[in-house]
Amino acid sequence: MSEAIRALGEPAAAEGSQPCEVDFDAVVKVYPGGVRALDRVDLRIAEGEYVTVTGPSGCGKSTMLHLAAALDVPTSGTVRIGGRDLSAIPDLSSFRRNQVGLIFQLHNLIPGQPIIANVEAVMFGTHRSGHERRNRAMELLARVDLAGREHRLPTQLSGGERQRVAIARALANEPRLLLADEPTGSLDPAAADLVLQLFERVRRRGVTIVMVTHDPGIARLADRTIYMREGRIVEPGL
Amino acid sequence: MSFLAYMLRGLWSKKVRAAGLTMAVAFAVMTVVSLQVTSSGLEQSAAAVISIGKADLTVAQKGVSDILSSSIDETELARIRAVPGVSSAVGVLVETEKVSASVPLFIEIGIAPQDLAPFGVTVVAGRPYAADATNQVMMGWRAASTFGLHVGDRFHTNGTVYDVTGIYSTGNAFGDAGAMFPLVALQAYNRVPGMVTLAFLKVAPGVPVTTVARRIDFRLPELTSIRTASQFGRADRNLVFLQAAVNGSTILAVLIGAVIVGNTMLLSLFERTRELGLLRAVGWTRRRTVGLLLGESLVLALIGAAVGVCLSFGVLAILERLPTLSGVLHADFTSAAFARALLTAVAMTIIGGLYPAIRAARLTPLEALSYE
Repeated sequence: MSEAIRALGEPAAAEGSQPCEVDFDAVVKVYPGGVRALDRVDLRIAEGEYVTVTGPSGCGKSTMLHLAAALDVPTSGTVRIGGRDLSAIPDLSSFRRNQVGLIFQLHNLIPGQPIIANVEAVMFGTHRSGHERRNRAMELLARVDLAGREHRLPTQLSGGERQRVAIARALANEPRLLLADEPTGSLDPAAADLVLQLFERVRRRGVTIVMVTHDPGIARLADRTIYMREGRIVEPGL
Repeated sequence: MSFLAYMLRGLWSKKVRAAGLTMAVAFAVMTVVSLQVTSSGLEQSAAAVISIGKADLTVAQKGVSDILSSSIDETELARIRAVPGVSSAVGVLVETEKVSASVPLFIEIGIAPQDLAPFGVTVVAGRPYAADATNQVMMGWRAASTFGLHVGDRFHTNGTVYDVTGIYSTGNAFGDAGAMFPLVALQAYNRVPGMVTLAFLKVAPGVPVTTVARRIDFRLPELTSIRTASQFGRADRNLVFLQAAVNGSTILAVLIGAVIVGNTMLLSLFERTRELGLLRAVGWTRRRTVGLLLGESLVLALIGAAVGVCLSFGVLAILERLPTLSGVLHADFTSAAFARALLTAVAMTIIGGLYPAIRAARLTPLEALSYE
C-alpha cells in the first residue's frame, strides 16, 4: 500500500461533526405488495463502531442501510442517527450530504464526468468554495492513490480504482457515518483487499461504519457482525 | 469546479444529444425570426408609403385590403382641408408597376407640381414637370441611379415613353426609388380621374396632431388617420392578416419546438435516472437536481437561439434575392427580432422542460437508483 493510502487513516476531526451512533427502535419496513423487509428490528451501533451486516439475499440488509441513510422511511418504528429521529429532520438532503457517506456495490460514478468532478459534485451546497472543493477532491484522490488520474473518466479506470473513487467521494464531506452496500462485491481479491484496507483506515479516524456483505471473511474484519434472516436480526454480533 | 462548469462538462459528455436539442431550438428560432423579420420588412416597405411626404398626418380610406387600394375623392379632400387645425392637405395618387424582372414593384406617385414643395420634394436636378403634361416624369434619385437615367433621358413605363425633366429627393428610400408624374396624367392612365390614394396633411402651428387626427376620424368616418407605422393596420388589412399569420406561426413553432425539447429532455431523464438518483442520494436537493436539468436545457436553448439567428440571416439573404421578393423585402434585424429569438428559445425550454422537470423532482433517490 502506498503512503498516500496510509494517510487516509490519519486522525482528522470532521468539521461540524455530530455524534453518530445508529439506533433502530422496533423498525418495520413493508414494501408495496406486502413484502415485509424489516420486522421489528432493534439495533444500536455505537459511535466509531465498525459493523458488518450479513445474511442471505432478501433478508433486509440493504433495506436497513437505506433507512440509516435516510434514503427511505420506515413503515413504523424509529431510526435515530446521532440521537436525531430521521423522521423529524426537515432537510434530509442536507443530512445525507453532511452526515452520511454512501458507497454502493457498483460504485455508481457519473460516467460523463471525470473522477475529480465526481468527488467535487457531492460538495455542492456545502460551505466550501470552488477552490476548496477542488483542493479537497485532489487531496482525497491522492489519499486513495489516484493522484495524477484526477481527470480520467470512470470508464478509463479499473473496478478497484472506481471503488476507491467512490470511497473518496463518500468521505468528501467528512461524514461521521459511512454506509457501504457490498463495496467489494464486484472486485477481484486484490482490489477488494485494497478497498478493505481503506475502510480500516477510515475506521481508525473514528468514523462509524456499517457495511453490508455476503462474504464471511470480510464480515469477520469488523468489530461486530449482525446476522439477518427474513427481516430480523437473528444472532447479535459479539 | 462551479455548478455551471459541472453542467457544461455534463453536456459535453453527451454531445450528440446536446447537438440534437440545440438544432431543434435553432430551427424553431430560425423559423420565428425569419417570419418576424420578413413580416417586419414587408410592413416597413408597405408603411414606407406613408412616410414619403413630410406630413404630420396621413389620411387613407379605412379598412381597405391594401393601402394602395385606398381611394379618396376631391370632395373628401376638400372636407379634410376644412377640418379645423389642418394647415394644408396634399392629395397623392400612388400606384405600382412592374418595370422589369429585377424591379417588380416600381412606385409611381402622381402629384401636382405646385404640391411638390409642401410634400417635401426637393428637385435636385432639372425642373419639375408641367401640370398638364402627359409624357413628363421626375425620377427619384435612387431610381435614376438604378436605371442610369439623367435629365433629358427617356424613361419607358406604362407603355409610354416619358421625358425625364428632373431628379428629385424626398429623403425617403421608398419614395426616392420611384418616379413622380403629373397627378392628372397618372389619374388618367389608371382611369381614376379626381381620385387620390392618400392625403398628406400639415397641421397648423400650435395644434396638437392627435387633436386633428381625432377630428378627422370623427368627421370622416370612412377615412382613417395614420401617424405611425404601427397604426398602418387601420387602413391596410393585409398587414393585420400578415401579423396574425406571423403570430400564429410563432406559437406553432414554439409548440413544435417545445415538444421536441420536451421529448429530448424526457429521454435524457430516462437515460440519467440512476445518475440523478445517485446525486440525490449523496445529498443533492430536488432543486439542485431540477436546476441541473433545466440549466442544461437553458444553455442549449441559448446556443440554439444564437445558431437560429445566424441561420435566419442566411435564409433571409436568400429570400431577399428571390425575384418575387426582390425590392419588396428588406430584411431588417431589429432588436425586437432578437428579443423574439430569445423569447422563443426560453419559452420552448420552459414549456418543453416543465414535465420532465416535474418528473425529475418527484423521483426519490431510492427509486431512481433502482431504475433499470
